[in-house]
Amino acid sequence: MPKMTFIERDGTRREVDAPLGLSVLEIAHMHGVDIEGACEGSLACSTCHVIVDPAWSKRLAEPTEDEEDMLDLAFGLTETSRLGCQIVITEALDGLVVKLPAGTRNLMGD
Amino acid sequence: MIEAPPRPNRPVYLDNQATTRCDPRVVAAMLPWFTEHYGNPHSVEHVMGTEAEAAVEDARGHVAALVGADAKEIVFTSGATESNNIAIKGAARFALQAGTERRRIVTAATEHKCVLESVADLAAEGFEPVVLPVRPDGLLDPDVLREALAAPTLLVSLMAVNNETGVIQDIAGLATIAKQAGALFHTDIAQATGKIPLDLTGWKVDLASISGHKIYGPKGIGALYVRRRPRVRLVPLFSGGGQERGLRSGTLAAPLIVGLGEACRLAQAEMAQEATRLAGLRDGLLRRLQAVIPGLRVNGSRTARIAGNLNLTFPAVTAADLMARIPDLCVSTGSACSSAAIEPSYVLRALGLDDGAAGRTLRIGIGRFTSPADIDYAAAALEAAHAGAPAPSIEHLAKA
Repeated sequence: MPKMTFIERDGTRREVDAPLGLSVLEIAHMHGVDIEGACEGSLACSTCHVIVDPAWSKRLAEPTEDEEDMLDLAFGLTETSRLGCQIVITEALDGLVVKLPAGTRNLMGD
Repeated sequence: MIEAPPRPNRPVYLDNQATTRCDPRVVAAMLPWFTEHYGNPHSVEHVMGTEAEAAVEDARGHVAALVGADAKEIVFTSGATESNNIAIKGAARFALQAGTERRRIVTAATEHKCVLESVADLAAEGFEPVVLPVRPDGLLDPDVLREALAAPTLLVSLMAVNNETGVIQDIAGLATIAKQAGALFHTDIAQATGKIPLDLTGWKVDLASISGHKIYGPKGIGALYVRRRPRVRLVPLFSGGGQERGLRSGTLAAPLIVGLGEACRLAQAEMAQEATRLAGLRDGLLRRLQAVIPGLRVNGSRTARIAGNLNLTFPAVTAADLMARIPDLCVSTGSACSSAAIEPSYVLRALGLDDGAAGRTLRIGIGRFTSPADIDYAAAALEAAHAGAPAPSIEHLAKA
């Protein structure tokens, strides 16, 4: 099974199993990684914002217009920012590394 | 002694690079949005709001069509000065926040003050402004740009048409050079919109600034083009309700936006014919002046130039004296945008004019509402004023 690594906000690296066909958001939730995903992957928020390791970002499919529109609203955007719900694991992404951003923008949150 | 021509019934306005008369058709399109349909375009819960929203979106489409963009790429602002500020500062601050190493921002010496000042202000935030010289004809040498881009560059900002000389830069070519170097490309198209064909999408421009009142639309409205594919991101200047995709908070000025949209629609329909007509008037005026004022010089490229503009250095009389002798002729000594400062135009100095020549230079801007009679008056009045004829008095008018 492919693996992927989350770099948490405190810098901790967590390598986890990454089943084929699941999104980075779903994998985070499986393993209790702290990514919100308020809209549950329906491209209606930017709370699953992750920063893809620059070495990996070129290997991902280009973001769609809808994903870009949501990224416009993300906090602390970088050049390799993506939405976790839109990255689906394939064999080619075995070893993917993503970092959690410093904060998210969810006005409904606590 | 050459006598000044009789006074016209009203001032002859040849300063269309400073501002233009709002086209009566534009005013007619705007009026209902002040009086009857005054809804807030963001009030999407009721019909007054949604009809204003629809009018705004309709206008957005007209602006986009004129500049070769998609409607979603148009953000409404208060004018080109605001658009230039958002584009330049917003792009620089986003890049800083996104963690890029690039700090260099390249522009040219003949840019509008608000571009030069925005770029200069960013020096205090750690960016590196580079202001390039232009050739004596006002055009930027592509090799000078290439050289400046040898160091990693964040943003290049170059205007499409100069506000004093009417000189047209090769934006498609310059944008290609900037993109090849990995820089963002912004262009101020305030003086180019509706005057020359624009294809922002095809030219790979990232950001472009548009003004309403230079194209027979209302003052106080403009737009910023922000490329979507690949997405260009900016840090906004205003905090607020997040209107205009978060880039420009504040209630949209629906009547002014409708006016800008109508101005763009008219410009698109009439641009080609209008350019031919204005070039005819302009060339006629120049021929007549050259015949009677030997040594009259045209500043800036004669070929890469919009149809309505003349920038003339007179051989013997200062621009201030000429204007004082012809109070009925509205022309300017430089750009209105910096006319609060009593100093020779920095644009003309960048073209190599000394202070004396710059002080004898007039900008003449012929526009949609200029008639052949206006040109006749201007030619006769300038000839007489240059020959030393005093301004005609009211009594002179009564006698005639």
